[in-house]
Amino acid sequence: MRIETAFDQYHRAVFDFAYRLTRSTDVAEDVTQECFLALMRAPDRFDPARGTLKTYLFSIARNLVLKHYRDTRAEEVDLDQVSSAADPTAALEISSAVGDAVAQLPHLQQEALILFEYEGFALEEIAQVLETEVGTVKSRLHRARASLKRRLAPFRNVGGIHGAV
Amino acid sequence: MEPFDHDELSDSDLDQLLRQWNAPAPPAHLRTNLFPRSTLPWWRKIWTISVPLPVACGLAMVFFLAAWFWIRPSAPEPAHVVVKTVQVPVIQERVVTKVVTKYVYRSVPAEPAASGFNVGGLRPVAELRPRIIRSGDAKD
Repeated sequence: MRIETAFDQYHRAVFDFAYRLTRSTDVAEDVTQECFLALMRAPDRFDPARGTLKTYLFSIARNLVLKHYRDTRAEEVDLDQVSSAADPTAALEISSAVGDAVAQLPHLQQEALILFEYEGFALEEIAQVLETEVGTVKSRLHRARASLKRRLAPFRNVGGIHGAV
Repeated sequence: MEPFDHDELSDSDLDQLLRQWNAPAPPAHLRTNLFPRSTLPWWRKIWTISVPLPVACGLAMVFFLAAWFWIRPSAPEPAHVVVKTVQVPVIQERVVTKVVTKYVYRSVPAEPAASGFNVGGLRPVAELRPRIIRSGDAKD
């Protein structure tokens, strides 16, 4: 598959994944760009025997996001933002409230949840991207959903589900 | 308000909430950043396009080119004549020149008479009796 074709097919999903993990369009853009540049520089590194191109690209994107976290770890700690997710009055939009709630999850749970809920990955594909076992992915998903059920419970009657904001 | 003040969401409620978290679309310039489309004409492109080449590959190409120029079959050169004087043993034969005269006698055939008149059967007359005839006498 040509790289341009791969870009057309997967860049939106890669950008979406990076954005949901970082919640920054600038970082997501950089991650997406670097992801496809890595593929352009070394296309031979992709081994179809080990997985699909989609999982390969998401693995690159995940590593780039982790690198971004490591580089900006001190800047990422924002206690005000963390506490705001639990307060439905502070979240003017359900969208940002859900994003905040997901952002509070441990990073490993975030990855599994985003890949499963938003990118439509199967458990086996998530395990390939995260380089772990399917059972571990199931466990992370279960804990992430349980955590979100508690965190987002205040929004049950605020909007989206039973009414508008 | 603490989240634990409420009951937990059901799976379906959580799914509905999760679906409401929208992500922005990727910017359009992302593609042009990766795959820029040049509007330069081809004759300017050939002066601007560069190809990254590993040093090892470049050295290998130079080496092979040099080897090719060295090994390639050269064009045929013009014939070069070398004159050498050598002594060759020759068995000389003596040639004697002798003039030999040979006479050949042949009978000469008689030439055919012109216009079919043959004088071969003529004989001299025994008595000559001349007779004069006048050309102007109408009676004779």
